[in-house]
Amino acid sequence: MAKYEEIQVHGYEEFCKAVSERRGKDIFAYFSGDKDDQGKSWCPDCVKAEPVVRGQLAHLPAGSVFLYCLVGARPYWKDPNNEFKKTLKLTGVPTLLRYGTPQKLVEEECFKADLVRMMFTED
Amino acid sequence: QPSWDKKWPFWTMSNLQREVQCLPRGLCRTAWGLGGTCVNVGCIPKKLMHQAALLGVAMDDAGKFGWSIPGPVSHDWSTLAQAVQNYVKSLNWGHRVQLQNRKVKYFNTRGSLLDRHTVRGLDAKGTEMTLTARNIVIATGGRPRYPTHVPGAREFGITSDDLFWLKESPGKTCVSRLLIWLPGSVLLVFRHVVVHLCSSDLFRSSQSWLVVGASYVGLECAGLLAGIGLDASVMVRSVALRGFDQQMARLVTGHMEACGTRFHWGCVPTSIEKLPSGLLQVKWTEVRSDLERVEREDTFSSVLWAIGEREVGRERWGEEVAVDKMGRVPETTGLNLPQVGVQLHPDTGKIVVATDERTTVSNVYAIGDVAEGRPELTPTAVKAGKLLARRLAGQSNQLMDYHSVPTTVFTPLEYGCVGLSEESAESRYGKDNIEVYHAFYKPLEFTIAERDASHCYVKVVCDRAGVQRVLGLHFTGPSAGEVIQGFAVSVRCGLTYAQLRDTVGIHPTCAEELTKIHITKRSGLDATVTGC
Repeated sequence: MAKYEEIQVHGYEEFCKAVSERRGKDIFAYFSGDKDDQGKSWCPDCVKAEPVVRGQLAHLPAGSVFLYCLVGARPYWKDPNNEFKKTLKLTGVPTLLRYGTPQKLVEEECFKADLVRMMFTED
Repeated sequence: QPSWDKKWPFWTMSNLQREVQCLPRGLCRTAWGLGGTCVNVGCIPKKLMHQAALLGVAMDDAGKFGWSIPGPVSHDWSTLAQAVQNYVKSLNWGHRVQLQNRKVKYFNTRGSLLDRHTVRGLDAKGTEMTLTARNIVIATGGRPRYPTHVPGAREFGITSDDLFWLKESPGKTCVSRLLIWLPGSVLLVFRHVVVHLCSSDLFRSSQSWLVVGASYVGLECAGLLAGIGLDASVMVRSVALRGFDQQMARLVTGHMEACGTRFHWGCVPTSIEKLPSGLLQVKWTEVRSDLERVEREDTFSSVLWAIGEREVGRERWGEEVAVDKMGRVPETTGLNLPQVGVQLHPDTGKIVVATDERTTVSNVYAIGDVAEGRPELTPTAVKAGKLLARRLAGQSNQLMDYHSVPTTVFTPLEYGCVGLSEESAESRYGKDNIEVYHAFYKPLEFTIAERDASHCYVKVVCDRAGVQRVLGLHFTGPSAGEVIQGFAVSVRCGLTYAQLRDTVGIHPTCAEELTKIHITKRSGLDATVTGC
C-alpha cells in the first residue's frame, strides 16, 4: 500500500480543484512544463529534476499527497501574468513546494536529492 | 535576495572546509524554526509590526497631502500576524536550505555537554545520540524573564516571545466575541447595550494592554500596539532605556506620552488576577519616595512582561530585599556547563568569555546574548561568530571589536545612536572636557502633516580638546536606523567635529541636521533649528 497519494493534474484550474479536494492534507506540489508526445518537457531543467524528485518519493510522510502539475505550454509559462505566477507566486519551473508553507525548492535546487529529501522528511 | 550568511557563522566554517554540526536549542511555548531570537521573536517580527504602526500614522497624514481615504481606517491583527509569521517561516526555511547547501549537518535535538569534546543530543522522541568535536560554540541566546515573585505573572502575562505569534487580535474584547453568535433580532437590542458599554470604563479597559518594563523591548512593543490603535500603558520601575543616553530616552517616552500612551513612572507590579469577565486585574505600588508608597490597581485585557536590567541584592524602600534577577534570561540550563568547567557569571548567569569569545574551557566558545558583557544585538553576535570561524580555521587573527556599535530603538519616534551617551562621556572625560552640540529640528514631512516634532532632536558629544573627536552621536526622528548607519562608519574612522561640519548635508533630509549642528549646550542658546 502506498504511503502517499500521487495525483497528476494539468493547468491551474485542475491544480486548484485537486488542492481544494484535499484540505488538511500535507501536499507536496511539483510543477513542470508540459510534455510532448514522447514524454519530454519543453523545460530542460524539469527534465533533469524529475528523476531526482521521483527518486525521493519514498521519503514522503505517510498520508501526504504528491501533486504533479503540468503548468502548460512554453508561451503560457513565459507570460508573466499566468495564474501560477500571479496567484501562486511561482518564479520558475521546476518548483517543488509544500502547499500552505513557505517551504519550496526552485529550479537548480530541485536537482539536489538531499534538499528534496530534507523537505520530505523534516517538519 | 537576503544573504543568509549574515545569520550563521557555521556556513563560514563549512566554506573553510571544516566539518560543522549544528544543534538548535530546546524550544519553548511556540515552536521556532532556525534563526534564533532575531528571526523568530525579535528584530524581524518587531520591525514589520512597527512598520504596520508607521503606516497607520502615514494614513493619518495622507489627507493633508491630498489623499482621500473613504471612511474610518481600522487595523486587522490577524492579517498582519499571518503575513509576519509567514515571512518568518520563509526565513526559517531559507536558513535550513543554506545549512544544507553548505554541508552543515543539522540535528534537531536538544544538546548538552558531556565533556569538553562531547555533546549529547536528545530528540523529540527521546532518542539519544552523541557527537564529538574539536571545538564547540554555544550560541543559545536568552529568553524573556517573568517576575516570578509577582503572583499571577506567569499564568496571566505574556512576553514578546508570545506577542508576535498571537493569531487573534490582542484587542479583542469579551463583548465583541458575544456579538458573533447572537441572532439578528437580539443583536439589534444588544447593539444599544454595546454602544453604552463602549463609552464606559469597562469597555475602554477591556481593550487595553499593560506593558511592564521600559527597556527597548517594552517601549517598542507598547509603541507598536498603540500604533495599530490599541490602548497601551507602560509601567516603569525607575528609568526608561537604562544604559542609553537618558535625555534621548526621555524624548522617546515624551513622544509616546504625547501620542496617548500612559506611563506609570516609579511603579512596580505586585499581583495579577483574572476576573470572571476575563480581564486582568493588576495591582501595583507607586513609589513616590522612600517613605511614600501608594497602592494602585486597574484592569487590562493583556499584560506583557518586558523587564529590563537587574538589581541584585540591593536595598529597596529602606529595607533589604532579595530582588529577583531581571533582564533576559541566558539559555544555559540543561547545557551542563558548570560540570564541564564552563564558568557562568554569578550575577547574570551568562557565560564568561574572553576577548576571543573563549570560555573558561579552552576549546569551548560562546557568542551572542548568552555571553557575558556582550551587547544583546544580532549584528554583533553574527559578526563575532564569523570572525571566530575564521580564527578557528586558522585564516585570521582578527578579534571582534565591540566598540562604537550603532543601534536603533524602533519606538514610534525612533532613536538611533552610536558611541557614548552624554553621561558616559561626562563620567569618562569630565564635564568640562566634552563639548555637546545639539539641535531640535522639524522633519519636512511633519510640516503639512501638522505633526508634533518637539521630540525630534540631534546631539553630538565631542571631546572638547584638539580636533574634537566625536564620542557619541544621537538622533531621534524618522528612519533613525538609516540615518545613523553611515555616521557609525565615520565614527569608527575617528570622526571629528570639524569633519562633520565640513560635510555637505543632503537636502532636504533629517540626517543633514547632523552636519549643521553648531549650538553647544554650554552656550545655553536656544537649540531650535529655524528656516530652511
